[in-house]
Amino acid sequence: MVNYGGDEVSALVLDIGSSSVRAGYAGDDIPKAIIPSFYGYKATTGDGDVQMGENAPEIFESTTKPTPSDAKLYLGQNGPSIWREGMEIGNPLRDALIFDFNPVPALISHALVDVMRVNPSEHPILVTEPAWNTAANRERMAEIMFEEFHVPAFYIANTGVLNAFAAGKGSALVIDVGHAMASITPVVDGFVLRKGMVSSALPKLVQAHARHILSNPTQTRRGIELLPHQLIANKLPVEPGALPKFSLREDRISGTTESWRVWCESREVDEWIQSVAGVLDQGWNDQAAASRPARQYEFPTGYNTYFGPERYQVGEQFFFHSPQLVAQNPNLPKNIPTLLSESLRACDPDLRQVLMGNVVLTGGGSLFPGFADRLEAELSRNFPHVKIHAPGNPIERRYGGWLGGSILASLGTFHQLWISREEWQEHGKPIVGQRCK
Amino acid sequence: MAVSASDIRSALSLPSSSTPVQSAAPGPRKSQVTKKPEGISRELYALIGPSAPSLVAHLAKPRLKQKPNFGSGGKVKWEWRPFRNAGRTDSLQLGHWVKATDDPDAEYPFAKYNVQSQSYTYSQEEYTRFLEDKDWTKDETDQLFNVVREYDTRWYVVHDRYEPPPDGSPRSLEDLKDRYYSVCRKLIRNRPWAGDEASKAQLLNSYQFDKDRERMRKDYIASLEDRTPEEIAEEEALFIELKRLEQNERKFKKERDELLRTLLGIDSGLPDIVAEEDGLSALSAEGFKKRKKNANEIEIPSTPSNIISLGPPPPKRAHSAKSAAYDAQHCIIRVEPPASSTTKITHTPVHLRSFKLPAPKATLLPKVTQALTELGINHTRLVMPTRENCARLESLIEATTALIDTKKVVDRVEQDIRVLRVRLGRASEGTEEDGKEGTPMEVDAGAGAGAGADADADADADADADADADADADADAEGEVDGRAQSILSTRSGRGRKQNQSRRSISVSSIGTSASARVGKRQKRG
Repeated sequence: MVNYGGDEVSALVLDIGSSSVRAGYAGDDIPKAIIPSFYGYKATTGDGDVQMGENAPEIFESTTKPTPSDAKLYLGQNGPSIWREGMEIGNPLRDALIFDFNPVPALISHALVDVMRVNPSEHPILVTEPAWNTAANRERMAEIMFEEFHVPAFYIANTGVLNAFAAGKGSALVIDVGHAMASITPVVDGFVLRKGMVSSALPKLVQAHARHILSNPTQTRRGIELLPHQLIANKLPVEPGALPKFSLREDRISGTTESWRVWCESREVDEWIQSVAGVLDQGWNDQAAASRPARQYEFPTGYNTYFGPERYQVGEQFFFHSPQLVAQNPNLPKNIPTLLSESLRACDPDLRQVLMGNVVLTGGGSLFPGFADRLEAELSRNFPHVKIHAPGNPIERRYGGWLGGSILASLGTFHQLWISREEWQEHGKPIVGQRCK
Repeated sequence: MAVSASDIRSALSLPSSSTPVQSAAPGPRKSQVTKKPEGISRELYALIGPSAPSLVAHLAKPRLKQKPNFGSGGKVKWEWRPFRNAGRTDSLQLGHWVKATDDPDAEYPFAKYNVQSQSYTYSQEEYTRFLEDKDWTKDETDQLFNVVREYDTRWYVVHDRYEPPPDGSPRSLEDLKDRYYSVCRKLIRNRPWAGDEASKAQLLNSYQFDKDRERMRKDYIASLEDRTPEEIAEEEALFIELKRLEQNERKFKKERDELLRTLLGIDSGLPDIVAEEDGLSALSAEGFKKRKKNANEIEIPSTPSNIISLGPPPPKRAHSAKSAAYDAQHCIIRVEPPASSTTKITHTPVHLRSFKLPAPKATLLPKVTQALTELGINHTRLVMPTRENCARLESLIEATTALIDTKKVVDRVEQDIRVLRVRLGRASEGTEEDGKEGTPMEVDAGAGAGAGADADADADADADADADADADADADAEGEVDGRAQSILSTRSGRGRKQNQSRRSISVSSIGTSASARVGKRQKRG
């Protein structure tokens, strides 16, 4: 038992991300409960149609104002994805940080109690946080856990560190491309170097770019209607590129809220990205993009067509921004090479070689086909010895933070780090900052 | 398949052949069956019966090694047990699964990994007396020590987490390290030291930090990283050029050594010299010496290093009468080195005489030893290995070896004679003359390979005479073709017939040696 250092105390690991909330037992290799972070809600007090006036379709924000605390929530796999009259869609996270704590207990409770069927008061719980989390946020999380879920012990760990642990490394340069944020975190001996940590909302830019490609007409096709299948009554098969033949569910149109619609559209875009988009592994090259086979994709309306070079333009946004785009948007999210050089510049020269030899690529956004190859090509152009650890298993890539937490919380030597209920009551909030460094 | 007769009978429902007998002796039969040993099939046992008691011991089931017993009978009881961690300061109780046999009061096994790094602290008084520094305030130093303690001197993390006061300038990693280590050094130096000076110096040494050197090193690293691709390419090209030049130089040096070796041989003083012919080495040793004197003047400027390594030429062995007298006076006997060999391999270093005692050949060693023990001489231990004694021992061993060789030859000849006697006795039923004639012929055939062919032709003639009637004609025809055997065949053809009649086959031993010649002849004949 002592040989491999593990000692299971049936701890729980909770990883709240922008797209999904992952929960499971420490020591497992896959989270038991994976539920969307998005939730549907209906305000019970009269004001049912919350209009989102300045909703910019370019960069999607789920909500701009916190959910009313007395709203009826629809959570989990059957929450936001089911059409309900007047249901709004919300997400407690913005830029991977929790900004709206109202629905968070409900989300956690749904994951732990409804899906995992555990009693949180019986299990110590390890929660993850992004490296740029604020002290107030983590203290609030500790408060929720101790006061609402009555956990016996609590710990909050950094996703950068956990991703490095999941890769089996104590020191690493963690490149995490998530649903909302792309971040680069240097980790040394299990500690984040805060000065070298950088992040940007790059995945949102990529999604906005994809939406732009789809909804704007080109020479060969018209703009594509991104209607979700929940709003389509029936459709007929059509030839590729032909106009779709479908009829809408007229009864639902009037009851659909703007936020639900935006959420559905962004989901359609995400699905299109996931099945079609890619990255050229040797930098942008028109001929190389044209030489790749086109891929067919069918939208819920029945419209289907082949996507050629444009599918590689989507992934290119991670690595290269055209000068005119930069000129138009002064506060464009930084791309990966810029983030990398920024992060390394802040690190000690001695460390750079170590970090470049231990690059960990993680996050669901990094699952673009060709992403790891392109990153390797970009890095080896500037550094002599680069080694990228990119798990081939999508589960490990998407839930690397959870996996690292699962490893950490099942270590025998870790159990002295838990913040116990007794300590929480004795020291209060400052104990979180002292213990979770 | 081994099936007993009774099995077949029962399968075919035939009546037993010996029913009365069986019915008469069911009791003992039963008891025997019960004694059937383990590990033998019933059918086989029915066939061999209980009459082979030795089988019982053989076929008893082999006793296997006892299986290791994990825990109590393979089943381990685990139980969920709450535990306290000695590494914690509070009373948090967590639970885990442990073997029920484990001691419930045992300390948590992971608590021992909770080690705190030892760190220095200082008092206000110490600070004011020793640690004042114009660049650092006490608050800053306190903060630095706190951070270092908190992160266990992980300097990269310390540098990341150390926050200078708002008005202070940012500190570099070297500044932090320098301050910390200098404070530690001062504390060690000024505090009373319990141990000896050496351990104190060693401890001080472990806190040594050269800020300027570290900074310079880091600058070098930075400049290495700041190179443009062109600079890197240029550096690489230069590096390759350097390697090429080095290789050229090595090649040149090798060629020069080769040349020197060819010209001078062993006298060049270069290692790894291949063995040379006697004549050439003699030339290099004697005839070349004079020439080298002239060559030296020319060679010195071009290859000075090599001339130095050559050293002075080996002194000529010119024994004056005086040195001979000196030798005689001091009982010095000079041994001529083996002049014929100039290789390094044959060079014999200085040695004691007793180390080089003459020894018989390894193949003869046991026989020599046996012979000497028969004579009561111990040759392995020479009490006084003087020169004379060694020479006498050598001659003794030589004589013994010669004796053994002679004995071997005698033995062989005696054996031959015995064999021939036996053969002679067998042949006595034939004509007396033939027998006498045959003996020298056979010896002749056995002795020389050249004679083998003759005798073989003889044997051939024998065989052919056996096979067909016109053997003579055949042998004659063959003799015409086979130039060398012609005369012999022709002279013996007549006698062959006679031998054939007497059924004597001679020169059997030679058949094997000239098999190929025979085959050739047969092919021709066929």
